[in-house]
Amino acid sequence: MENTSGFTNLHMDAIREVGNIGTGNAATALSRLIGRMVDMDVPVAELVPIYEVAAHYGSPETPVCAVLVRTEEEFSCSLIFMIEEEKANLMADLIIPMDISGMDEEMQLQIRNSALSEQGNIILGAFLNALAQITGWVLPTTTPAVARDMLGSIMDLVSSMFGVIGDSAMLVKTNLRIKDLEYDLSGNVIMIPDPGSLETLLSKLGVL
Amino acid sequence: MAQPIHVGMADLVVSKHPATLVTLGLGSCIGLVIYDQVSKAVGMVHIMLPDSRETKNIPKPGKFADTAVPLLLEELAKLGVNKSQLRAKMAGGAQMFTMPGKDSAIFSVGTRNVEATTKMLAEAGIRVVASDTGGSKGRSVEFNTETMKFTVKTLGSSTKEI
Repeated sequence: MENTSGFTNLHMDAIREVGNIGTGNAATALSRLIGRMVDMDVPVAELVPIYEVAAHYGSPETPVCAVLVRTEEEFSCSLIFMIEEEKANLMADLIIPMDISGMDEEMQLQIRNSALSEQGNIILGAFLNALAQITGWVLPTTTPAVARDMLGSIMDLVSSMFGVIGDSAMLVKTNLRIKDLEYDLSGNVIMIPDPGSLETLLSKLGVL
Repeated sequence: MAQPIHVGMADLVVSKHPATLVTLGLGSCIGLVIYDQVSKAVGMVHIMLPDSRETKNIPKPGKFADTAVPLLLEELAKLGVNKSQLRAKMAGGAQMFTMPGKDSAIFSVGTRNVEATTKMLAEAGIRVVASDTGGSKGRSVEFNTETMKFTVKTLGSSTKEI
């Protein structure tokens, strides 16, 4: 098994390009879903010590919402869309066609989680579709899983997945921003290839 | 009161009384404390994974349950603790995501962390006097040598002391 620290600049560029195309597609899909412009930052691919993954995104106790999907056939990886919880609720409300503020809290949470699960699924599915187009792979996704918790707790998953193979995490950090709102609404897409999958991808892209 | 010491991922910290040890945002990870109930010396480790056996290079032994527990006991021994007076408390090991129809090892790392840590403590003959593990919620924990209590905080519910 390869160690994650053996990556060259060429590898990092290839991974960043995957992030770029994937996020571009994700931004378009989200934009269609909510009927608003969606902007993205240029993705950054970097190796981060697994012990610092959470700190890379913010303070460990920040409440966040995360949607996770996996693909497990020709290429296996997990993808997470993560957004601060307060913003997650605002984003969910963009596609909930009625005012739910009068309902009891548990009901509101369920409706919002369902909306977020759909938004996350569209964003991450579009990311994977872009990857499928580049590679010719068929990349079906699992049903999305939604979690709301502390940033640090959610990021444990990322650290432990990379931790099995080494001490650094390959993070593709991208930011999607919904425009024309009176508040800032942005979230991160994080790709976590299973052990060995990053090599499969680099080899498919012809850089390994 | 002493400044709280933050124990980061895979970090291992030991201290004499008085001390407050803190670790924030535990998901599948484990916050384990072992303390001497008489001298009140304490050690905390932030365990990430159950088993080091498939890993060649281990720069941080606190990362794995099977390397963290022996090292923690070794570091405590240097503080002159009496092994028969040692007790353990632990928290964490949650499963943050659940996928219908998936029982993948990826999601159950928390459960495996709890099992491995419990097993290592049993082998070392250290009694676990309190624990708050499993479930689906992240935890922040704080151990104070004055009270020898573990304060466990989760989002959206009240803080508990174990």
